Amino acid sequence: MRARGVLVLLVVLAALQPACATSTSAILSCRLNEQSLILTAQAVPSAALVPCVAELPAGWSYAGTDIRSGRARFWLDSDRGGLHAVEVELTRSCDTSKAVEVRPAPDESGARVYAEPISLEPALWANRYVVFSGGCTTYRYRFVPDAPSTLSLEAEEALGFFPRSALVQDVQDRFGLTLCGAGAPPCEG
Amino acid sequence: MDTRGGSEGTTLRLPPPPDALGHRRRPSGEAPPLPHELGRTGRIWLLLALYLAIAITIAMSYGPLRRAAEAFDTALLRFFAELRTPWLTDLALVVNALASRWTIRILRWVTIGILVAFRRWRHLVVFLGAVVSVEIIAYQLSLAIARPRSFDVRIITDWNGFAMPSRPVVSIAITMIAIAYTLIVPGRSRYLAKWAIAGVLGLLWLTRMYLGVDQPSSLLFGAVLGVALGVTAFRWFAPNDVFPVSYRRGKAAHLDVGGRRGEAIVRAVRDQLGLEVAQVKPVGLEGSGGSTPLRLRVRGEDGTEHSVFAKLYARSHVRADRWYKAGRTILYGALEDEAPFHGVRRFVEYEDYTLRLLEDYDLPTPEPYGIVEITPEREYLIVMEFFDGAVELGDAEIDEQVVDEGLRLVRNLWDAGLAHRDVKPANLMVQDGHLRLIDVFFVQVRPSPWRQAVDLANMMLVLALRSDAPTVYRRALAYFTEDEIAEAFAATRGVASPTQLRTSLKRDGRDLLGEFRALAPARPPIRIQRWSLRRIVLTIGVAIAAFFAVGMVISNWTVFA
Repeated sequence: MRARGVLVLLVVLAALQPACATSTSAILSCRLNEQSLILTAQAVPSAALVPCVAELPAGWSYAGTDIRSGRARFWLDSDRGGLHAVEVELTRSCDTSKAVEVRPAPDESGARVYAEPISLEPALWANRYVVFSGGCTTYRYRFVPDAPSTLSLEAEEALGFFPRSALVQDVQDRFGLTLCGAGAPPCEG
Repeated sequence: MDTRGGSEGTTLRLPPPPDALGHRRRPSGEAPPLPHELGRTGRIWLLLALYLAIAITIAMSYGPLRRAAEAFDTALLRFFAELRTPWLTDLALVVNALASRWTIRILRWVTIGILVAFRRWRHLVVFLGAVVSVEIIAYQLSLAIARPRSFDVRIITDWNGFAMPSRPVVSIAITMIAIAYTLIVPGRSRYLAKWAIAGVLGLLWLTRMYLGVDQPSSLLFGAVLGVALGVTAFRWFAPNDVFPVSYRRGKAAHLDVGGRRGEAIVRAVRDQLGLEVAQVKPVGLEGSGGSTPLRLRVRGEDGTEHSVFAKLYARSHVRADRWYKAGRTILYGALEDEAPFHGVRRFVEYEDYTLRLLEDYDLPTPEPYGIVEITPEREYLIVMEFFDGAVELGDAEIDEQVVDEGLRLVRNLWDAGLAHRDVKPANLMVQDGHLRLIDVFFVQVRPSPWRQAVDLANMMLVLALRSDAPTVYRRALAYFTEDEIAEAFAATRGVASPTQLRTSLKRDGRDLLGEFRALAPARPPIRIQRWSLRRIVLTIGVAIAAFFAVGMVISNWTVFA
């Protein structure tokens, strides 16, 4: 009887653990058939690009996702940069008034990129904005003290964009239905 | 504490021969008198939820089926989207607020407040457990199924996360079901409440389809999941037979003996003890916390009626006893060397044993008639003699003979190596000028000397409440030495006396404890607080458990806040 009670308590504790954090299973990978990508595209229907994780370098791990109407966020942990080292957020627009425009990376052609350093010492804290048609992706770097600033380059390597048009085509091919928003035929209502 | 006198004037002696009034053995496979079950509708809801979960898993993982399901859902959503007008949209947004975080938050906090106000802790625990569990299950299912939001139609309200099951609908469904099962008294009110829940869920189903935010199947799955898990949780962990929803004042330990349970008691007593019960009536509830005391009117073969006393024990009483003992161990440590019982069967077996043991020592306690199974391992009834015409000592006029009998009773308990451990006015009856001792559940064999000393002091205090301290002290010297009496009052302080006795002493106004201490030889107080390894481990364990419990509540705060 007592053993059963302890077992139940452990099951409850185990079951409650995931509730403490946001999902780790809804990974936004840059590939077709990824339901989280479609949901992200639905969150900001105007965005022509959807941020995603191309490939995580050693020492980085996917930590959580939060997708809701109007915005989609995910964040990464780093063994050197700390927990929640980088957060990526897609919104319809963003405030770049305190940032300076920089040259876009090769996979960001067609977008305008802005950098906003917040602090360099003792830890790199900075925002990076990628503004494109119908959307803006904000990268928030929040490294722990003494973490190398080159980690931001690793993160940029790991992150990418998926064209919304490819998702629209995928939904059409698989279900014969329309993923409402940019690049799709008008929807009902 | 439990046996109460009636006005019949005769004492019923029931020698229960095994072949009395046709005992009946329950054959293998036959349901017990009060089966523990979900009920027909509970089973239907659970099966429906299971069926939907399986059907959805298959449909979502097999391409052609998924395509067909999406097409069907989308066709319905398109139909509703074509109906959109500005005023209908405004109305839909208002109705959709029923499933908003604020609505759910308010409903949950109000429910928690009412349950706390009426001290319905069992309902509160099941409510919190059900809500947190269902939220977690729905969240994890939504991640596992990973269904995006609606296609083909414009979504015109806010949403959060994957679509299936619809989490707002799950949340409002479990909340409303919880309210129905914890706040609404069974009967017509609850019946109407269930229809109201169906109405709200139906309205939300239409509204959220109109707004294009959830697919019809996601809404259906959400509603079925919330209702099915809610009904299962409350019917299984807080069945109304055991934990009735009631707004009457009274102790939560007392079970409702009407309805199905009342019928089960009558049937079980007839089958198992061969006694024809004409009436089941709760008695002495105010003096009882660990069981539900009952007076059963029993019809004899000649048609005359007599009373027998019975105590109904359920698993909730075992749990309460476990907490009580853990609490006492933390508070008093090694003085209370008590082991908790491991089941309600053990509970009644022990009380039956103590009744027979005291009878062997010829102490004036009720004669045991037997144990009756109501629900295996969950509820048992112990039946014993009812002291007809007896009155509680607290209400009786007593003379020196009764005082002597009370003191001799403690002397006999000491000589037999026993302690009653619950000597208080409600557990001492006067019948035809003689003292009777009832409620022997706490009797301990070979107790600590401290415990025996406390029994003596409590008995002297109870007797003095109906007389005076000098008389009781003088009579006590016939059975105990002055040192023994001094030890008794050195051992008895504060919580060493039962709550009812402490209340009676306060109400009496006289400082009886002080008077006895003044009469007895001086002796330094016996320390109650003792430390042992068990006590330290238990205290630390409870502190850690409380820490985790608070942590869990804080971690899952968003479920409520």
